[in-house]
Amino acid sequence: MICVIVSVLRTPHSSVAVQMRGKRKSCRQSYSSCLGASSRLGLKPVLTGRRLNTSRRAPKSHSITEKVTPEQLALLLKTEWKLSYVTPLYQFRHTQLRSYCRQLSAFIAAEKQQGLAVEVEGMQSGYRVSFSAVQGMAEADDDAETVTIQIHSKSMLAKQDEPEKLVWSGWLSCINGNPDYLHSLPNDFTCLPLFGSSGQEVFTFLVQSWFQKTFDCCFGPLEINHTSLQWLAALWTNCHTESSIQHLKLIWTLPVEPQLQITYTVNPQDAWSLWSSVRKDPEEENEGEEESIDFEEVVRFIQGLKNHFYKHFRLDLSAGTLKQVSTALGSAKYSGRIKISNSRYMITTLTLLTEAALLKMPI
Amino acid sequence: MATGLNVTGPLISDPSFPSDQSVSSRSINKSLRVAEKERRKLEAEDPFVLALKYFSDVEAGTPVIGNDEFEKNLVQVEKVAYSKGLSPEGISIMLEFSMSLRMGNAPCVRVLKCLIPATVVPQEAVVRAVAWLCVGKIPISAQVLFIKWVLTVFDMIDAKDQLRAIYGFIFNFVTEENLCPFICHLLYLLTRKESVRVFRVRKLLELQSKLGRQPFLLHLLSLYKVFCPELVTLSIQSRMKTGFRNHNAPWKSALIAVQKRSGSQVASSTSLPFMIKEKTTSRKRKHCLEFPTMSGSVNKQAQTEPSVSKRVVPLVQLHSFAQLLKNMHCVELPAQMGSLLGSSLALHYLDCVQDESALLRLNFWLGYALHEEFLFCGDGGSSQNLEEAQQFLNKLLFTQDFLQEGFSSSEAFLYKFLRVWDGSLLRSQVLGLLSNIPVIPSIKIGQFLFEPLMQLFFTSSLFFKCGLIECLNNMLSKWLCWNTVYCLEDNLDISPNKSHTSINMTLTDFKDSLMELVHFVGRLASVGLQLEGYNSLLLSFILDFYETVCDMFVKYELPLVLVPPAGVFYPALFATDPVSVDRLAYIMYRYQVNLTEAKSHRKQPKKACRISHHTLCDFNHYMSVMVNCLWNSKMFEPDMGIQLKEELLLKANIPEYWESFNFIHHPAFLSYAVDFHHKCWPGRQDMNLNSIKYSKPWTWYLEYLYSQGYDGLKQFVLVM
Repeated sequence: MICVIVSVLRTPHSSVAVQMRGKRKSCRQSYSSCLGASSRLGLKPVLTGRRLNTSRRAPKSHSITEKVTPEQLALLLKTEWKLSYVTPLYQFRHTQLRSYCRQLSAFIAAEKQQGLAVEVEGMQSGYRVSFSAVQGMAEADDDAETVTIQIHSKSMLAKQDEPEKLVWSGWLSCINGNPDYLHSLPNDFTCLPLFGSSGQEVFTFLVQSWFQKTFDCCFGPLEINHTSLQWLAALWTNCHTESSIQHLKLIWTLPVEPQLQITYTVNPQDAWSLWSSVRKDPEEENEGEEESIDFEEVVRFIQGLKNHFYKHFRLDLSAGTLKQVSTALGSAKYSGRIKISNSRYMITTLTLLTEAALLKMPI
Repeated sequence: MATGLNVTGPLISDPSFPSDQSVSSRSINKSLRVAEKERRKLEAEDPFVLALKYFSDVEAGTPVIGNDEFEKNLVQVEKVAYSKGLSPEGISIMLEFSMSLRMGNAPCVRVLKCLIPATVVPQEAVVRAVAWLCVGKIPISAQVLFIKWVLTVFDMIDAKDQLRAIYGFIFNFVTEENLCPFICHLLYLLTRKESVRVFRVRKLLELQSKLGRQPFLLHLLSLYKVFCPELVTLSIQSRMKTGFRNHNAPWKSALIAVQKRSGSQVASSTSLPFMIKEKTTSRKRKHCLEFPTMSGSVNKQAQTEPSVSKRVVPLVQLHSFAQLLKNMHCVELPAQMGSLLGSSLALHYLDCVQDESALLRLNFWLGYALHEEFLFCGDGGSSQNLEEAQQFLNKLLFTQDFLQEGFSSSEAFLYKFLRVWDGSLLRSQVLGLLSNIPVIPSIKIGQFLFEPLMQLFFTSSLFFKCGLIECLNNMLSKWLCWNTVYCLEDNLDISPNKSHTSINMTLTDFKDSLMELVHFVGRLASVGLQLEGYNSLLLSFILDFYETVCDMFVKYELPLVLVPPAGVFYPALFATDPVSVDRLAYIMYRYQVNLTEAKSHRKQPKKACRISHHTLCDFNHYMSVMVNCLWNSKMFEPDMGIQLKEELLLKANIPEYWESFNFIHHPAFLSYAVDFHHKCWPGRQDMNLNSIKYSKPWTWYLEYLYSQGYDGLKQFVLVM
């Protein structure tokens, strides 16, 4: 039923990593924004405490394929994205995307040419940038439409018929963003808190600095924390009957010297039966048309997995940290990398990540 | 005396200037000349200027070994180069010295390594150096180093036209095997369409057949092919990796350091490629603590509606306060609001920015920087980073002081940070920021402020305790100040947009929060004093706090009087240092003034102030204790706060224990009493302090105490 791979990682910084976690955990305890009584330099008080929802809708097999064109969906799927959070964009307009294409291409060309001092006409066409809005992705009324960005490179020496090469792609998204937070922002701001990028780091840096200069926003790394990973494990397992998850793989690291990494792979059917056993009786729930999942259930599910592991190996995983979760529907890593393989459950995953990104907002 | 002057006069002054006036005018002239001479001397004596002079004048063939003068001057140049960078002139002189081999091969490499430009590199210097290269005497390693240097500072060379003019000369060096990769890179940077010639292509192809398909040759050839596809028939893969290797290693770190120190705007072009490289190599550590540079708004199309096309002046173009005033109505905000914090002129403007979005942008940036640096980062900050953080926070503090307001993002950050703070990291800065936070509603104040502060207070050193009390005192004064200012503004109703200038708080709410704060400090102070053994330093900070508290009614027109808890009052009263007792007396005197004032206002409905009965009782009680102790010598009377059993007092075997805390026997004043006794009855052998108690010496004794600077006592005795 279970396949376990235990490997020892020799990292000199393991003790540091443990410290880091402690720090993060404690700073999550206070969820606040400025409380009432704002001064002139403040903004209007956002009194809503922001935290990850403790209950969320079960992922339903989404009709997203009906709303979003397959080409655009394909852009988002099956790529591993490095996530960042973005503070609200000032004066971003979905109607200006074509002009942004030009501006960003010019910016990249200018930055790339620095230190080259080549002044040739027609050379700056080295990179072509395309922005596009993904229509139909937004779930709630307050969500801004998701925007994808792609950078193609055109080699100067390429033959005419040679296709352009995609060197970088990324997107900005907001799915089911906290309406209180979104409403508290003035109209000049567009909140697209989740940024995914894939490709050379240099381009990520260039795109981010262009956004910073143009929309006065800031980018920071977004990691998928322990809680979010647990959520993803449960949410994906919940889909098993509709779309096979094939396996549920969890990777834990234990804070011992040298660091121990445990790969815990669960048979999909077993995972599903465990999940069904910890689910609350559906009748108990308010005769909802919408099935919802509570965090309690998620905790019970993960605890069940841990207990099983303890029975076999006398090793309590509670002492460690969950670093990675993967199924056939997608994979997520603590370092903030996510891959979504099935469009049907994409919205649920993105909702969770949007929440995590909004939690990182400085105000 | 007059004769004495006459005698000595001629000895000092020149006999040709007999009159007094001419002497003085002469001395002024002389002093001017001396100053001028001094100045010139200083300039001439600047060791760096001297060193440069040495290197420009030194004769060919001067020996290096054992030449102390050379060593001294070179060290001088190196010092300046690595700290501030060399001026264009300095670069010229040193490059010329190095390449001309005037003192042989040995210094050549050393000099090349310290050629860190402060601003730009003059093109002529490079051209001249290439000329020296053509002489062919320079050792090959130095030649390579020189070309690497040119590549490193390429973007800082002030013009490239002359360098392009000698393209052919430079091209000649490709045949030199060791130089070839670097020469190719340099040529790549200099190549234009007209430089591509058949014979050059042929030469490169010939080299390629000799050396193999070397990437540097391919790169240069591919560039040639872009310009003149008909000349280069070679097939070049389009997927070839672009770019030459960087050869900036010997200078990179020094160059970055110099540019950073000078806040360089000049050669940002060189710094960027480095920066990207750094980002990719160590992306774990992202620097958020740099103020963005100010630039005009990029995103114009979106901002200005086509119908509204009024003249705007970007803030970055304004350089003086006068200009700012003139263009106040049409200033355009920069693309990144964070950049306002970097310029003092912009701060003036920020003070009048009314645009909510603009302030929000600023807050987003600031909050982001603070969060990323101090909360989300895991490494705790290295020492170099700590210095940066300190500078950043100091700048922020300066800004908040200037605006006399705190940013809400720094407030939100602090609530989170206080929970993870160890109380020592950047203590003074964090406490400074904390003292700037606006009034917190009383229901939230405990959770957000008191809980974390209490933990920190009781687990930290004495100095932290003092620092925190000082910070809370500053916070209290700022709250009181804001309140008076906003009250005033609301009364006068001068502000057009009141919603954001006034605190959205009623006076009752404000009083509640304030009361919470004062009570909180009272608790901290009482326990803190016990923990620290009634330390005088801590007591002094606590009394500072109560000096602010006692004057709230008179000074800040706030209808609220709060007296200190017993845990503060008694330690101060029985303190062993007279200063504390004196300050307590002053505080009690101010309470008296405030309460009297409050009472007299009771009949005016506008300033209605109901001082609670409890407060009055406490105050009266404290007053009577103080008077009984210090003046009436009635310690431990039945109606006093402190009571001890009669038999216990007798057991202690202290004679006349009821007198132990009067002005004479109080441990803080005993030494004064003794001193006074000596002065009053100098001849007396046996000391009897009780003799001071008689009315005459008592008055004198009090006068004597006042003369020692105890004004608080004086004022207290007057209202007593």
